[in-house]
Amino acid sequence: MECYSEQTCAIFVDGELGVDEARRLRDHLATCQRCRELVDALRAENRILGESLHELPQEAASPAIFPRLRWSWLWGDLAAMAAVLALGSIVSVWIHELRIPEALEWLNPFSVNGLTNLIFNLSYYFTHGGTAMLADYAAVVGGLFLLLGGSALLLGRRWRLYQPGLRLLIVLLTLSLPSFALERRHGEFVTVAANETVDDTLLAVGNTVRVEGVVNGDLLAFGRILEVRGSVKGDLVSFAKRTVVSGTVEGRIYNFSQSLDLDGQLGHSIYGWVQSLRVDNRSHVGDGIVVGAGDVSLEGEVKRSVTIFAGNADVSGGIGRDLTMAGGSLTLTNTARVGGNLSARVRQLKDVHIADGATIAGKRDIEVRVRKSQFMRPRFYFHQAVWLAAAMLVGWLGLVLFPAFFEACTQAVGSGWRSLGLGVGVLAGVPVVIIVAAITLVGIPVSLMLFAVYLAAIYLAKIWVGAFLGRVLLKPVGATKRDWLVGLLVGLLILSIVGFIPYLGGLLRLGMICLGLGAFSWQLYRGSRPAITA
Amino acid sequence: MDAERNKAKGPRPGEGTAKQMEGLDLESVIERARGHDAEALEEIYRRYVRRVFGLCRYMLDSRESAEDATSEVFLKLQRSIDSYDGSIPFPRWLLRVAGNQCIDALRRRQRGRQVIAEVEDATVIEAPSSELSPLGAVIRTEERAEVRDAIARLPVNYRAPLVLRYYSELSYDEIAQQLDLQRNYVAALIFRAKQELRRKLTHGSK
Repeated sequence: MECYSEQTCAIFVDGELGVDEARRLRDHLATCQRCRELVDALRAENRILGESLHELPQEAASPAIFPRLRWSWLWGDLAAMAAVLALGSIVSVWIHELRIPEALEWLNPFSVNGLTNLIFNLSYYFTHGGTAMLADYAAVVGGLFLLLGGSALLLGRRWRLYQPGLRLLIVLLTLSLPSFALERRHGEFVTVAANETVDDTLLAVGNTVRVEGVVNGDLLAFGRILEVRGSVKGDLVSFAKRTVVSGTVEGRIYNFSQSLDLDGQLGHSIYGWVQSLRVDNRSHVGDGIVVGAGDVSLEGEVKRSVTIFAGNADVSGGIGRDLTMAGGSLTLTNTARVGGNLSARVRQLKDVHIADGATIAGKRDIEVRVRKSQFMRPRFYFHQAVWLAAAMLVGWLGLVLFPAFFEACTQAVGSGWRSLGLGVGVLAGVPVVIIVAAITLVGIPVSLMLFAVYLAAIYLAKIWVGAFLGRVLLKPVGATKRDWLVGLLVGLLILSIVGFIPYLGGLLRLGMICLGLGAFSWQLYRGSRPAITA
Repeated sequence: MDAERNKAKGPRPGEGTAKQMEGLDLESVIERARGHDAEALEEIYRRYVRRVFGLCRYMLDSRESAEDATSEVFLKLQRSIDSYDGSIPFPRWLLRVAGNQCIDALRRRQRGRQVIAEVEDATVIEAPSSELSPLGAVIRTEERAEVRDAIARLPVNYRAPLVLRYYSELSYDEIAQQLDLQRNYVAALIFRAKQELRRKLTHGSK
């Protein structure tokens, strides 16, 4: 009888040959020495394959994967929250098809208009030490958020209140959805005519938004140009390229514009972050002003205090109480009046010009910030120590709560360019998403949450980068929490020292934020990738 | 290397809570995991992560994608464990799930195309006969590492069925189903994979 092929024998050895054929082959083996030897050799080969494969490669002995099971519960809760929000937005009656109006093109960093705006703002931002300011701001808000949230989670975990706590949060968030008593208008040109009265809060989205009539509620405006010639009884919240208020706003103004001109009357305060702020000599501010701006010109009357962070500030009007200023230069003309103290923090004494005719009722406190001097002051070291301790505490808390995530983020920093690139994208992109989400109004809770997470991540960025740096330098033998924290301490010390190198320091800080943000985003992405059929 | 070893010995998150789980038999752990008991799921993770990772590492090209696939397998386990009916041993079932995960990952990389395309007529199962004889019966530990190394260097169309057969211990039918191929073609691929392996090992030792 003819011998079987090697492949047939191999299939037989694998136990995969059909019953009849297997029986015939077995019969043949009884008589054929050659085939018997072949089958034996094939069996041995299979055994070697199995043994070799089961003896796992070295790296498999310690896969750097950590249980993310607890995390996924959190994801479940987040998904539930997202579902609640999504449902809310479907139910709401006034959800129209949302598209970004042309008027908001300047917010879109991918358009020419938006790009020039972005470059313009960024260049301004960096020349005015924006990185440090953002980092400080993020440190305060992010740290607070993390400590509160982290403690709540830690306590919740101990008493198994973890999930109910989150659910409570969801309910609260759902309840905090903006009230639907709101009128919404959008179009190229949105107007409230002179004889018209809007009784609700008005959300206006358009290229030009003009209010000549009366808005009895708040006015939320998004557009290229916003003009208020009539009156707004509530607050004015605006994101616009140019905002002009020549009428009356009885509440407060919250403004994020390239320019804000106030020619009219304001009942309370201005809070804003603008490129240029002008308070005209016909105008009156019923309370105070707190702004960050490139140029500030105060010609009108402000009843209470003024606090400005500005490149240039010119004051020729009256300020009821204190004037506090930090930034580039301050000029008080002959007509300027300050009812309280004047305090200014500038780089050089000659940056402050106070005309002889200017009246200052209180003290004049002009502090010259010499860069070198901060290293001479003990307060600086105290601040740094507090900063470091806070960062260590946050790092420790994070490691206790989310060991896997923190460890993985630290590792992801090591991917270098991927993290850096992703981080740059996230750093620039998330604000756009926040604004776009806020425009939908239903998205406001989401955008606020996103903003909090954004700041928290900016704060955490240095922790992951620090921990990574520490690990690279120390090369710890183990992978315990203690090693991680010691690495973090060393890394953070180095980062904070490096951050104070003139000019280069700012760039390095920015790079560090991008790296950490990128690592964080990557881990979020990895942790949340949608399931595919199992 | 030392660092790696120590790392493996070092404390791991969740180890303390899993202590009481260690003594439990697999069935009760699975039963508890079905009820979405986080500790039971962690215990399953603890027991099988190495085997699952091993499979993923053989199937996929990089350590990172193997880690990704492994964590996805265990993440999905919370839901997919409901579909485990006990008809086959749990480790075998888990490896089948992991195999699917790897094939999904490979497929995604090839933008949805088949991982292994049947280029030839699958009915022709006879491969060219090999002049190389099967691997020797006695093999030392260091040679096993060479075998693994050679397997890792096999092209994916040979490596995937070979690993699924001799690591996951799946049947030809199961492999055919997972890879979306005909059974005969799977048999041919496994046979050719072995021949290629012999060739690699013989050339390597020369």
